[in-house]
Amino acid sequence: MREWCQVQGLPLRPMVRIDQLWGLAEAWYATRLQPDSRRPQPAEMRQIFARLGLVDAFWDPESDRFGPSSSKH
Amino acid sequence: MDLDLEVKLAIYRHFAETGRRPSVEDVGRRLGASADEVSEAYRRLRSSRVLVLESNGVTIRMAPPFSGVATQHVVKAGEVSYFANCAWDALGVPAALQAPATVYSRCEQSMEPFRLEVGRYGPEASDWLFHCVVPAAHWWDDIVFT
Repeated sequence: MREWCQVQGLPLRPMVRIDQLWGLAEAWYATRLQPDSRRPQPAEMRQIFARLGLVDAFWDPESDRFGPSSSKH
Repeated sequence: MDLDLEVKLAIYRHFAETGRRPSVEDVGRRLGASADEVSEAYRRLRSSRVLVLESNGVTIRMAPPFSGVATQHVVKAGEVSYFANCAWDALGVPAALQAPATVYSRCEQSMEPFRLEVGRYGPEASDWLFHCVVPAAHWWDDIVFT
């Protein structure tokens, strides 16, 4: 992966296991077809990431470590 | 129920049933609403990041986890095939459908094909890894690239 990122000119970021990815998929989408569904907000996102062991600053939805963001999630 | 919620649910039902994006007219027929009313709802749903629209403002590019365009992330559930926006969303399709599915994708480094069986409560064991280049704080700066 490191080699691929170098070739592509992209930074190497934290890796996510398949079981963690399923946790993300469920957290974001399990209720998506239901009337009361909504996207997780920043505080909920932090809780979801922490529960799945994704604790790097990369996962902080309001981090300014990677430059200014226009994202409101 | 307000129109935006009705439109959102109609869009998702269409994707779930057909695997393809609905047109403004498709959604209008489901709801008995005019194309103009549905188009306005599309724009409001885009503003609240429920939808990503093509530049014409009326064609759905993404209704996450579903993709309105063909991608390398294909999900088969029952008799229906879906396109997902990314590997995360590929697992999001069976999560949203609450149904077993098979995910087909590939490794972007080796181009090795990837197949994953996903049951109602999660995927089979796999040692594949997901890599997202864009930090969470920047996902919506350019969600198509993310």
